[in-house]
Amino acid sequence: MLLDRAVAGDVGALEALMSRHSGRVYRLAYGIMRNQADAEEIVQDVFLTLVRKGGGFEGHAALTSWMYRVTTNVALNKRRGKRRELEVSLEEHLPTYTEDGHRDGDRSYVLADWSSTPEQAHLSVETRKILENAIDGLPDHYRAVLILRDVEELSNDEIASIVDDSVGSVKSRLHRARMALREQLTRHFGPGR
Amino acid sequence: MTCKDAIAVLADYLESTLSPDLVEKLEEHLRDCAPCRAYLATYRKTKSLTADAGRVEMPEEMKARLREFLLRQLREGR
Repeated sequence: MLLDRAVAGDVGALEALMSRHSGRVYRLAYGIMRNQADAEEIVQDVFLTLVRKGGGFEGHAALTSWMYRVTTNVALNKRRGKRRELEVSLEEHLPTYTEDGHRDGDRSYVLADWSSTPEQAHLSVETRKILENAIDGLPDHYRAVLILRDVEELSNDEIASIVDDSVGSVKSRLHRARMALREQLTRHFGPGR
Repeated sequence: MTCKDAIAVLADYLESTLSPDLVEKLEEHLRDCAPCRAYLATYRKTKSLTADAGRVEMPEEMKARLREFLLRQLREGR
């Protein structure tokens, strides 16, 4: 197996292993940490743990799953206690309702549909900044689930196993994270802009 | 179904994991509710913008440093 050969000192195998996995480890680490330096440290930690651990994986899927789990745990541990002051309360970004369960708020705001705004506006530096800030402001465990689902496209079951939580809790965090981001984008694209 | 009920099941709706009964109720609500139609469209768009924003590439010089770091560790570990 590639990993055994890499551990035995085969440079080609090590490079193949990196090329297969380092991109996704970096993407996830960056997604949770939100900066390159911390993400780089995590990628090094994860690969070092991997080569020290050596084999024991039954196939590519098991190794990939292990990579996701270790990356998520290392990143969340590293985030613990960091930048908490930036985390906003999710509640202020969730939809509000009238007593009978209808959307509450200004009519033009609740009707705002910016989904077909021209693509260049969605991709603009300003929009990107709004979205990045909104993602930065999510509580760590919400952001990790969001990245695993919407960027890495893992299933809710896989994510539940990675973060060692129930599928129900993963789905709830994911939905609330998306709603919080949607709200902040609506304030950017919505009425009054 | 109210707006609150509708928004609560949007993620399951997009993943096609809602029961047929709930899909029918949600779609009936969406037909009559412009705010929830807007909510669904922007929720879906948020998901795709998040995916786009998250697709970051590992910088080439970082890959080179990782390679050197691992080779050094493997040499020292032997």
